Amino acid sequence: MSQCCACLSPQEDRVINKKVDRAGRERVYKILERNQFTIPHVDVERAKYFTESMKTTEGELLTLRWAKALKNVAEKITVYITPDQLLAGRVGQLGRYGILYPEIDGDFYREVLGELDHRAKSPFQISDADKKIVMEEIAPYWEGKTYHEHLNKVIPAEIRGVTYDDERGLKSKFVVSETSSYRSALQWVPDYEKVLKRGFIDIQNEARERLDALDLTNSVDLWEKKPFYEAMIIVCDAIMIWARRHAELARRLAAEEKDPVRREELLEIGKVCERVPAYPATSFREAMQCQWFVQMFSRIEQKASAIISNGRMDQYLYPYYKKDIEEGRMTRVQARELLECMWVDMAQFIDLYINPTGNEFQEGYAHWEAVTIGGQTPDGEDATNDLSYLFLESKREFPLNYPDLAARIHSRTPERFMYEVALTVKDGSGFPKLINDEEVVFLNTVKGVPVNEALDYAVSGCTETRHPNRDTYTSGCVYINFASALEMVMHNGRMMHYGDEVIGLETGDPCSFKTWEEFYEAYKKQHLNLLRKAFQQQHIVDRLRPMHFAAPLSSVLHNLCMENALDLHTEKIPGGVDFSYFEFLGYATVTDSLAAIKKLVFEEKKLTMKEVLDAINADFVGYEPVQKMLMSAPRYGNNDPYADSIAKDIDRFTQVEAERSSRDRGIHVDVRYVPITSHVPFGNVICATPNGRKAWTALSDGSSASQGADENGPTADLLSNYHTKNYGMINRASRLLNVKLSPKSVAGEEGTRKVMDIIRTWCDLKLWHLQFNVVNRATLEAAQKDPNSYRNLLVRIAGYSAYFCDLSRDLQNDVIARTEHENV
Amino acid sequence: MQDAKVKGMIFNVQKFSVHDGAGIRTLVFFKGCPLRCRWCSNPESQLFTPERAFNPSRCLTAEVCGRCSKACPTGAMSVVEGLNFYDRSKCTGCGACVKACPTSAQSFYGYESSVEDIIRKVEEDDVFYARSRGGITLSGGEALAQPEFALALLREARHHRISTTIETCGCYPTEVLAEACTLLDQLIFDIKTLDEEKHKKFTGRDNRQILKNINYVFEHFPKLPILIRTPVVPGFNDTEEEIMAIRRMIPFRPNIQYEALTYHRMGQPKYGYIGRPYLLEGVTADEAFMKRLNQKLAAYQG
Repeated sequence: MSQCCACLSPQEDRVINKKVDRAGRERVYKILERNQFTIPHVDVERAKYFTESMKTTEGELLTLRWAKALKNVAEKITVYITPDQLLAGRVGQLGRYGILYPEIDGDFYREVLGELDHRAKSPFQISDADKKIVMEEIAPYWEGKTYHEHLNKVIPAEIRGVTYDDERGLKSKFVVSETSSYRSALQWVPDYEKVLKRGFIDIQNEARERLDALDLTNSVDLWEKKPFYEAMIIVCDAIMIWARRHAELARRLAAEEKDPVRREELLEIGKVCERVPAYPATSFREAMQCQWFVQMFSRIEQKASAIISNGRMDQYLYPYYKKDIEEGRMTRVQARELLECMWVDMAQFIDLYINPTGNEFQEGYAHWEAVTIGGQTPDGEDATNDLSYLFLESKREFPLNYPDLAARIHSRTPERFMYEVALTVKDGSGFPKLINDEEVVFLNTVKGVPVNEALDYAVSGCTETRHPNRDTYTSGCVYINFASALEMVMHNGRMMHYGDEVIGLETGDPCSFKTWEEFYEAYKKQHLNLLRKAFQQQHIVDRLRPMHFAAPLSSVLHNLCMENALDLHTEKIPGGVDFSYFEFLGYATVTDSLAAIKKLVFEEKKLTMKEVLDAINADFVGYEPVQKMLMSAPRYGNNDPYADSIAKDIDRFTQVEAERSSRDRGIHVDVRYVPITSHVPFGNVICATPNGRKAWTALSDGSSASQGADENGPTADLLSNYHTKNYGMINRASRLLNVKLSPKSVAGEEGTRKVMDIIRTWCDLKLWHLQFNVVNRATLEAAQKDPNSYRNLLVRIAGYSAYFCDLSRDLQNDVIARTEHENV
Repeated sequence: MQDAKVKGMIFNVQKFSVHDGAGIRTLVFFKGCPLRCRWCSNPESQLFTPERAFNPSRCLTAEVCGRCSKACPTGAMSVVEGLNFYDRSKCTGCGACVKACPTSAQSFYGYESSVEDIIRKVEEDDVFYARSRGGITLSGGEALAQPEFALALLREARHHRISTTIETCGCYPTEVLAEACTLLDQLIFDIKTLDEEKHKKFTGRDNRQILKNINYVFEHFPKLPILIRTPVVPGFNDTEEEIMAIRRMIPFRPNIQYEALTYHRMGQPKYGYIGRPYLLEGVTADEAFMKRLNQKLAAYQG
């Protein structure tokens, strides 16, 4: 059906017609527009002072070394207050910036730093003076010591072959990719509420009491627990020192400030920073400042994947908000301004990936500092409050791509919340993403989280969930390219991209298979081979990480770490629940390819295997009719049992193997369908596939249909997802589902109602995740041609919103290719 | 015969339809219509029999593919000067070319389907109807031009607790509509113009039976939710006087809504596929007029 662009989403209207309503938001627009689209800087200070301390503490307990290093950073790093800001606490120079974590990958700074500013994806700039510091003071110390080098050294040859494409382990093979060497931990949510309620002086006192209670005649207490609690005490000092330096700076700036209004603001910042996070917060303003300090210091502590998340902000901030509003100390508009002040400083911290593989995985300056709203209380009541609405309102009226906003939906979510979620979705910037309590709480409880804690989960990172005092698994997890398993069936264990190298199993010439069962059996063999290698690889990662990474701040805020005197990165912590996962890349690509072969080659015999093989080897050039026939076979995403039953069986045997690995390793090993942006680079190594997909193009994304394959509307998308899930098994985690709607199909009040209906039904179906793109294809195409006019255009890419024009051409095309559901 | 077993001609079942009745609905397009509206956006719906269609934009060309002309036993599909050429007069409708075509460039509009097959398909989305109060909408073509089939489908839908709606042109015997109204949760009914002559000229039939039918419904089904719609077609009925005259003949009751539809050309490519000329070439809707008209309609108070 032809596209009709007469109806614009509110976002398109703002971008195309240059409508920005700044009224009441002068401050945040001023901060934002100073540097919204500048190329981010690398700030080297965190790395410099961290390294400086680490040089002097070798041989001590790693957690203690880390705490001392953080204290050194806290004492010496330049402190800033962003001009016009009401909140203090950035960890780098003014403008957009990223910081370095040399403990992960400092060994190859010398060779890649020079390319940072002109790399095609997510470039960064670095000054010559800073380059010198990196080359002379930072990199040399870490060479020979980083986690990345250690992993590269010990990984056995048979696993290395599917993991890396070079000697040094810098280039991923994009077959069984480890993600542990470009981040020090998975996404994480610290227990912000604990700090708001108690303050670090009280938390530090707890560590002192635990230290005093040790029996130092016992060698475990003496050599392991004592330095651990010392580290806890030091890290509390570190964050309090850092906060107080902001108080001093604020007073100094106030003394120099000529504008009396700003002077008062600076003095107020000084007062607030003097109090939090040392003491409990007493106002909404203090609570916001305290949260921000904890969040930013967590970023200094470690490179948690996709940035430290914000947790259930509408819950832990609400008591302070309510009190201030009721006592007339603050208006709703002032509260909103404080939130938006946080968003604009958040937007200046960019998650910097030095590692080229990491950069491929998280394109477009990706970030997932998820703010969770809605959901249920720990005793199962609806948790929505006025703050939940304020977050949605802020997102609609000030549509920045920070923070990532996640709404928890459950069967009793109030109509008003649902309505405002739908309105925000319709705004077209992709927020909020939706996470389903009816699936998540059940699954996490079954896996061992106490039900009251399971009800209190926070969305973390892209689509994951965290229980800040129960979760203890933090290793970056493995990504598996199952489209490569399919290619290896077609090419007898080889991949066209890698020439003659045998990467998988030699399952024989596909033309020799007489039956569908033989073909499918070969696929299963390749699939399980990769899966087993992935689990072996992940086990090595799990054993190695605690030798290289510690997280004293995260540990001091975690009940189980404090009780057991164990760092959060310890492999096993008593009482903890370990949620490990592995990523399934190419779900629909594989399903559609298998369905096409089953139907056309073995059942209808319209094509021979030789024809299919010749066609994919030629990338369909000269074989267009074969390509079209393959594309006309049943495809996943259309609620077609033919394709869906194959997809469900793949999920089933994947979970059976995962369950086996869970038992072996004593952790939960769960299949997940969340590609971030990696379905593009993983697709770049895969030749043409029997679903008609051209060589080297993107794979299908998450648990969504192949690009353009879902021709029967969003209800079929959701139902295919539902019918391919094995609800009777528990080795499964999140499934990311993107649904694209044209603004026209959801126009008006009636359209809002339809979005609400889709969301309610999605909740009934117990699907994990859902996000919408409400955008016209014509708008995206225009943005490709004239990026400067469309700089503000946000799109949803797998779990987060990015500026469309920040994406590579490949990914832009991928967004455009997704079917736009419209019925006129 | 059992309702579930009754068969009829349809040409499409479309999920997630959001502009044709309450909630999220599934549209069943019936084949065959008594009218021949010049602006018809579903020209493939007009005949009661399956129709061969050829969509050149999907065709891989004779040079790359050529499977259809090789498969054709009568020479209806042939290659002329390197291009696929379809001679409708030689076509027996055997479907060999459709089976051979890898891209669906060759296709049939229309197939026979039973009530139970349709219900099964419609029920796939019942979890969405439960939340949105949606259901099935009979569309077309004209569903009630196949009265036995359409009524069986409505009865069976009721039996399955599926909400029922129909979009109808109203041009058939009154008894048929009266029976349908006992099975409907909502009636969507077209009134194109009150001018008998013009109606005949632009749709092939006059409007006497249509107006008689709707007045019958107004009288005998006073509580049935009804939506009366008028496609506003430039050069046919696009004056304020004409539309307001239609509005005035409709009783002003809370269960009766009225909507003026903006003319669109979405159906134009399909005329080409089935080898017919598009009669309203170059006609476009006057958006400003529609805006004024809708304001006036919104202000109408009976």
